[in-house]
Amino acid sequence: MLESALLMIRQLCKLYRSKYLTLLILLFICTFNFSFAQSVELGESLFSSNCASCHYAGPEDKKLVGPGLGAHTLEEYSTEWLYSWIRNSSALIASGDEQAIAVYEEYNKVAMSAFTYLSDEDLENILAYIEVGPPEVVSISAGESVISQEESSDSRILLLIILAILILLGLVLSGVKNSLKDAKGQQTFGLLENAIIWIKDTPVVIVLFCLFLVFSGGRFAWNELLAVGVQQGYQPQQPIAFSHKIHAGENGVDCNYCHSGARHSKSAGVPSANVCMNCHTYINSGTISGTEEISKIYNAIGFDPESKTYIEGYEQKPIKWVRIHNLPDLAYFNHSQHVNVAGVECQTCHGPIEEMAVVEQYSPLTMGWCIECHRETKVDLDNPYYHDLNQNWVKKYHGEDMTAEKIGGLECGKCHY
Amino acid sequence: MAINKKYFQSLSQLANNPKLDLLQEKEFADQLPAEAFLGDEDKLSESSTSRRDFLKFLGFSTAAASLAACETPIQKVIPYVVKPEETIAGIANWYASSFYDGNDFASLLIKNREGRPIFLKSNDLCEYGGVNARVQASVLNLYDNSRLKDPMDNGVSSSWSRVDKKIIQGLSANNISGKGVVILSSSIISPSTNSVIQAFVRKYKAKHVVYDAMSVSAMLDANLESYNRRVIPTYLFEKADVVASFAADFLGDWLDSGHGKNFAAKRNPNNGSMSRHYQFESNLSLTGANADYRTPVKASEMGVVLLNLYNLIAKKAGVSLVKVALSEHRNILQKMADDLWKSKGKSLVIAGGNNIHIHLLVNAINDLLNNTGKTIDFSIQSNLKTGNDQHIAQLIQEMNDGKIGALIAYNVNPVYNLAQGKEFIQGLGKVDLSISFAEKLDETAAQMNFVCPDHNYLECWNDANPYTGIYALVQPTIHPLFNTRQAQVSLMSWSDLGDDYYSYLKDYWRSNILGVTSWNSALHDGVHKLKTKEKPVTFKTSVANIVAPLANLSGDAIDLVLYSKTGLGSGEFANNPWLQELPDPISKTTWDNYLTISPRFAKEIGLNNEYVSNGALDGDVVDMTIEGVTLRVPILIQPGQAYKTVGLAIGYGRSGSGKAGDGVGVNAFLLAKEFKSILSGVSLTKVEDAVHEFACTQLHHTMMGRDRIVKETTLSEFNKDPRSGNEQMMLETHKGPQEPEKITLWEEHDRDVHWWNLSIDLNSCTGCGACIIACHAENNVPVVGKEEIRKSRDMHWLRIDRYYSSDMTEEIAEEEGISSIDKFLAMEVASTSESLEVVFQPVMCQHCNHAPCETVCPVAATTHSREGLNHMTYNRCVGTRYCANNCPYKVRRFNWFNYSDNDQFDFYMNEDLGKMVLNPDVTVRSRGVMEKCSMCIQNIQKSKLDAKKERRKLKDGDVDCACATACDTGAMVFGDGLDTSSKVYAQARDPRSYHLLEELNTQPSVWYQTKIRNKA
Repeated sequence: MLESALLMIRQLCKLYRSKYLTLLILLFICTFNFSFAQSVELGESLFSSNCASCHYAGPEDKKLVGPGLGAHTLEEYSTEWLYSWIRNSSALIASGDEQAIAVYEEYNKVAMSAFTYLSDEDLENILAYIEVGPPEVVSISAGESVISQEESSDSRILLLIILAILILLGLVLSGVKNSLKDAKGQQTFGLLENAIIWIKDTPVVIVLFCLFLVFSGGRFAWNELLAVGVQQGYQPQQPIAFSHKIHAGENGVDCNYCHSGARHSKSAGVPSANVCMNCHTYINSGTISGTEEISKIYNAIGFDPESKTYIEGYEQKPIKWVRIHNLPDLAYFNHSQHVNVAGVECQTCHGPIEEMAVVEQYSPLTMGWCIECHRETKVDLDNPYYHDLNQNWVKKYHGEDMTAEKIGGLECGKCHY
Repeated sequence: MAINKKYFQSLSQLANNPKLDLLQEKEFADQLPAEAFLGDEDKLSESSTSRRDFLKFLGFSTAAASLAACETPIQKVIPYVVKPEETIAGIANWYASSFYDGNDFASLLIKNREGRPIFLKSNDLCEYGGVNARVQASVLNLYDNSRLKDPMDNGVSSSWSRVDKKIIQGLSANNISGKGVVILSSSIISPSTNSVIQAFVRKYKAKHVVYDAMSVSAMLDANLESYNRRVIPTYLFEKADVVASFAADFLGDWLDSGHGKNFAAKRNPNNGSMSRHYQFESNLSLTGANADYRTPVKASEMGVVLLNLYNLIAKKAGVSLVKVALSEHRNILQKMADDLWKSKGKSLVIAGGNNIHIHLLVNAINDLLNNTGKTIDFSIQSNLKTGNDQHIAQLIQEMNDGKIGALIAYNVNPVYNLAQGKEFIQGLGKVDLSISFAEKLDETAAQMNFVCPDHNYLECWNDANPYTGIYALVQPTIHPLFNTRQAQVSLMSWSDLGDDYYSYLKDYWRSNILGVTSWNSALHDGVHKLKTKEKPVTFKTSVANIVAPLANLSGDAIDLVLYSKTGLGSGEFANNPWLQELPDPISKTTWDNYLTISPRFAKEIGLNNEYVSNGALDGDVVDMTIEGVTLRVPILIQPGQAYKTVGLAIGYGRSGSGKAGDGVGVNAFLLAKEFKSILSGVSLTKVEDAVHEFACTQLHHTMMGRDRIVKETTLSEFNKDPRSGNEQMMLETHKGPQEPEKITLWEEHDRDVHWWNLSIDLNSCTGCGACIIACHAENNVPVVGKEEIRKSRDMHWLRIDRYYSSDMTEEIAEEEGISSIDKFLAMEVASTSESLEVVFQPVMCQHCNHAPCETVCPVAATTHSREGLNHMTYNRCVGTRYCANNCPYKVRRFNWFNYSDNDQFDFYMNEDLGKMVLNPDVTVRSRGVMEKCSMCIQNIQKSKLDAKKERRKLKDGDVDCACATACDTGAMVFGDGLDTSSKVYAQARDPRSYHLLEELNTQPSVWYQTKIRNKA
């Protein structure tokens, strides 16, 4: 389409030989392209919120409840037909439309819900999206490590440069010294020998060097000891290669939908298999692993994806996830306190979870880390719980920020009992 | 001139204790026999391990151990497959249910965490019954590993289908042979169960025999004779101005666990009046310890005392007197009779024991006092005990005669708790088919053909009709742990009623109880009340006929009174280590029963208790013979015990309860022939060279003249001056006398958020110990066992101190010119029986705002919070124990061992099943750290969080600690001391309020209120 348009423009330009016109037309085409892209994008969001629970955007045989929708759909059915079908399929069936009845029969007489609220523009966008189809997703396969090493590379390069300069300086100095000695007619030495002689002659260097060794060794040991039991970056293989990137990231499932305990309880909770089934009753195949991983849920709960029924008398097998975030028993942590009361985002502690194909422990979960946040985090004084207390504090702190620390958030007994 | 003066370091030295000589000779401990080994050259050279090798091994093992320790174990998190809708991990669900074990009834709220019941408290919607220590501890019985896991067929595990088949066959065969089928049970208060039993009885032409281990059959029979109704009425302590109790331990195990709260309701001095409580008894009971006037009476003289009282009242009432010798207690009797007559219709005379004549006489006295129908309510009767002593005696006879074909035992253990246990076993030999519903293989179940283990009450549906018009539901709070089956279901499946007791129960309620109320609302409330009709009774006993059996005196014979302890009761829960380790409220002894004996009598017959070098108590052992039965029991000298009467607790000496309960103490039921609790003609022979080791948590008897510890006054003094007995203490300073609080080196803590206060009213505290068990359950307090308790290593976060009064005071000593040593020796001795008074004082961490413990901790493991709490951080503690040393209240407890997963402490924390009772919000402490009361900080934090989540202020009553929750009498009140509308704020400002050891100016967050005795 674009090619023919360009050809047309070139011919037009030949006709009028006007550069300005070409420019103008090109500008127009750009905007056309832009609006075209926008309609696909709108269509995608409309599709995922209205259609995706029953239809795939893909080939017809990729069935959920209904057929997969794609360019083939637009070829098979007229736009008008599609409009009226989407708006009210049962009316269309009742009117005796042959095509409609055929579809109805094919899909076990399951009526499609009516989407009367979708405007013409919405439908246009949806059809535009269906025609293009979803973009190819490039995902990292489950289990692959995604830890980034980039952050430390800058400083390393700097260190290397400094080291190189120092060596260069040493060489230069040694060269200068040698040429001086040469001029004096004294015996000359290589760089290494010079260094050894210098060190031998200056005991301060030996002492400093030893001190350096002791302190750096001590520092190293201290850091190592502090890291005992800290599992930052822990990224175990899970029994199901569940990707938060796909669920929370691409599909935008709210964290609280699965981890429903986070708002109410001390533990956020790993969702039970029946929560998975809310979607995976219909979504039988994943973007990366196909049916392999999803079938593990069915295996746990006893679900037959073919007949879409639960197997009666099935001995259910709970899924044994590997626990990643693991506080010691001596520390009490409550999710709801942080998520519900303080309004802390999940990502504050768990990192960019929506980008993690395989979840890793993002934060160190050490006491120092907790305390650091408690020192800085302000308390929501609008909460009526704090109302009376607030009056006292206003007098006492004269408009200073009320942090968790000031209300006793660093006291031992708040977390250790 | 030489002075013959003897200096001595201790009283034991003065008394020439041979043990002390031994200790003096060997001042230092023996050294390890290193010489014997290292000196033996041959042996050393034989050994192939060189010193270098040894060091290598040492190095390698250290390195290996540290390497192994570095690896973090992989933990799994396993969610539900299908999560129950009402369950959110980490949030407790509360279910209304009820408890009844044949003795106590309580309407409950059961706390359930992740499907496990872990704590319970009383349901305020039901004013009847009450949660005592046993009910509180019953949650641990659920996780008892000695429960049967399968049905048993002649001692072998079997399946339900096989057992059912055999039993139905047996029952039908029996039907043909024409021998009797008998269901033997304790009292049953469940209407649905009774209906099931009736169906069974009809099908198999069976008989239902009921008996109670702690029988009140005589009382029932007395009421039948006096009022023509074989029932137990309800006693309205809350309406009685004068209570006269004759050996009725109504704050302990007499009839009902709910009397405590009703009694306490009438004991609030702030109203200007309190009930007055007289107690005549032989043993020092919990009730006697709380009495205003307590008189020790030889057990066999109780009849004479009561007849004397009858005469005094009859004189006032103008009816004819009976002929009886004058009692030596006539002075106090006269006073009591005056009081009773003054409060006619508002008084209460009650008696314990299982003697029909006593109860008939008490009925007569109450009738003269016009109490029947006023403080004694026959229209609301108690169904808790309905057993008949004659029926069980008759049954044993029939069994031995071979007339019984099948016997089904339900919630009874006759082999253990009947004096005729042996006859019962003999009779059982002649019964063709015997079935037990016991939860575990107890003494009786072990003798039966089949054991069809019943569910624990927390695992099943049931109902209860404990009092007229009060209906309660029992609902399961956990899936059955083992392959057990509810007794009702067993009976139903044997009598073709199907196996769905839940539907049966629901139908029964719909058609008989609920009326227009919905099942769901009844289940939610846990209790459903129906209107009751007045049922007046008329008294019709002739007193003349009962004089003769009561007027008899046993003369010089020694009497024995069997009693039950608040911990173990009738011994059904003997395998509950919490209850075994609960100190007896009076003797403060754990893990034991013993013969209580009065100091005077013990001295006379040469029996002794002795403190040994490690501070524990040893006692002599006697052979006690009565009516041909001999028991070997230790003796414990008990102040307040009546002269020539000894006491022995039932509930001990189990052999089929499980590892914690078996072999603890002796079985006193063997003596209780014909369910008598008072026996006469005991002979005691001291067993030479036998010493019994006691494990007591408190060995000092008196306050040694420090009368500011428990403050006490009388009602008349209190009415004159509300601060009487609680005068403000002043310390002398250079500025003149000052309140201790004014003299301080400390900076004040911030107190602007909350200030958690606990107030303990010593006047309402009966010392029952339910709070101790609640604290155990809530805070994962470990059980340490008898040996450790003996070493004073008990772990109770909350203890109840018991002090006896002493006849010696500073004033008397000064008046009579008694020397210091003699004075203090005398002060140590509890008063003689007649004038003995007892006070209880619960002591837990006082959460001092100027805490001595906080300043000495070298690692800042114990710190102060701005909410007034004294925090204890286990993970920070290194176990120096300075804090415990510096604590003036001695409330800190040190973990000498790992009490969990340790075979040396083989209690519930050593097994996976038992650990299910642990509170997941509280750390299980490990060896080497200090612990103490945290004021249930987990509950405080939870309630605060709930308020924040609901975006509201915290209100009074939101926060409670376990002890205050468990306190039925309302003696403990917990709350925010900064909240001017809170109850605890008001309590703290009560003129009776004081701090313990105020002179130390520790500024505790715990308040005590002066005890008031209603004495003239």
